[in-house]
Amino acid sequence: MGIKLKSRYEEVGKELGPQGRMKLAMLTKISSVKAAELEDSPENLRLVDEAIDQLRKGL
Amino acid sequence: MVIVGGLVTLLIVELKSETTRYNNILQGPVQDADAARRIQLDFKKQVQEWKDILLRGHNPDDLAKYTRQFHEQEGNVKTETQTMAGTVQDPAIKLLPNDFLAADDKLSASYQSAYCVYVKEKFDFKSADKLVRGQDRPPTDLFDKVVAELNARVVTLTAAQHAATLRQLKILLIVVGALLVLDSYVYCSVLLGVLRRLAQLKGVSDRLARADIEGLSIDISGNDEIGEIGESMKGVAAAIEELLAIPSH
Repeated sequence: MGIKLKSRYEEVGKELGPQGRMKLAMLTKISSVKAAELEDSPENLRLVDEAIDQLRKGL
Repeated sequence: MVIVGGLVTLLIVELKSETTRYNNILQGPVQDADAARRIQLDFKKQVQEWKDILLRGHNPDDLAKYTRQFHEQEGNVKTETQTMAGTVQDPAIKLLPNDFLAADDKLSASYQSAYCVYVKEKFDFKSADKLVRGQDRPPTDLFDKVVAELNARVVTLTAAQHAATLRQLKILLIVVGALLVLDSYVYCSVLLGVLRRLAQLKGVSDRLARADIEGLSIDISGNDEIGEIGESMKGVAAAIEELLAIPSH
């Protein structure tokens, strides 16, 4: 299941705090709970990675 | 827009053809009937001028005056009838002007003989009148028949055209009515769709306001503003879910 996806959220949590995780969820429209249920497909990973890039640029 | 444009074009075309059909009646049978009534009147004037010759043409000046007026009317009647014989299209009426012209020629010959007697007998109108008495009746009857036939034709054609116009008007009303019903149906469908999606949006918004995201499914799609708000709400729902999932320290 979405192990890689879930780990992305945890990394963002460590790096940017709870606000970062919320913003990531808002940008991807997927919460970490849902992400854990999804497949680690290239599309899903790209969606989350792009949102993380956007968050980092925002900082 | 396309339907309304097409309908307006159809209306203009129909109006134009309707005007053309009425113009055809006006320029054909109505004009023929008018010409026939003028000839009928001129013929009656011609007969009256003959009576003036007999009753008032007792001296050379008066005789010359009334004779000239008589010949003027006679000429008018013949010219107008010949013109009419060439223009009337209805085969049932076409021969009648020629019959009238033949009867009028015969009457003119009788008038001429009576005129000679009248002048020769020193203005003895009784002798002259005896020669033509009642002879104006056949051409009068003949032309009355021409006028009656032409009038009847005008009435028939006008009634037929009126019926055709009413028929077209009914068809037009049915088409316009059907378009209005269709338009109302489309309008109501769109309005009901928008109202239904707004109600869904409100339900989602109420649940988000209470952070009640358990089992929340946001299924508000579409390429319009409502669809865009639905998409934004998915982000808000995910953020709230994330917030609730973050372990508190």
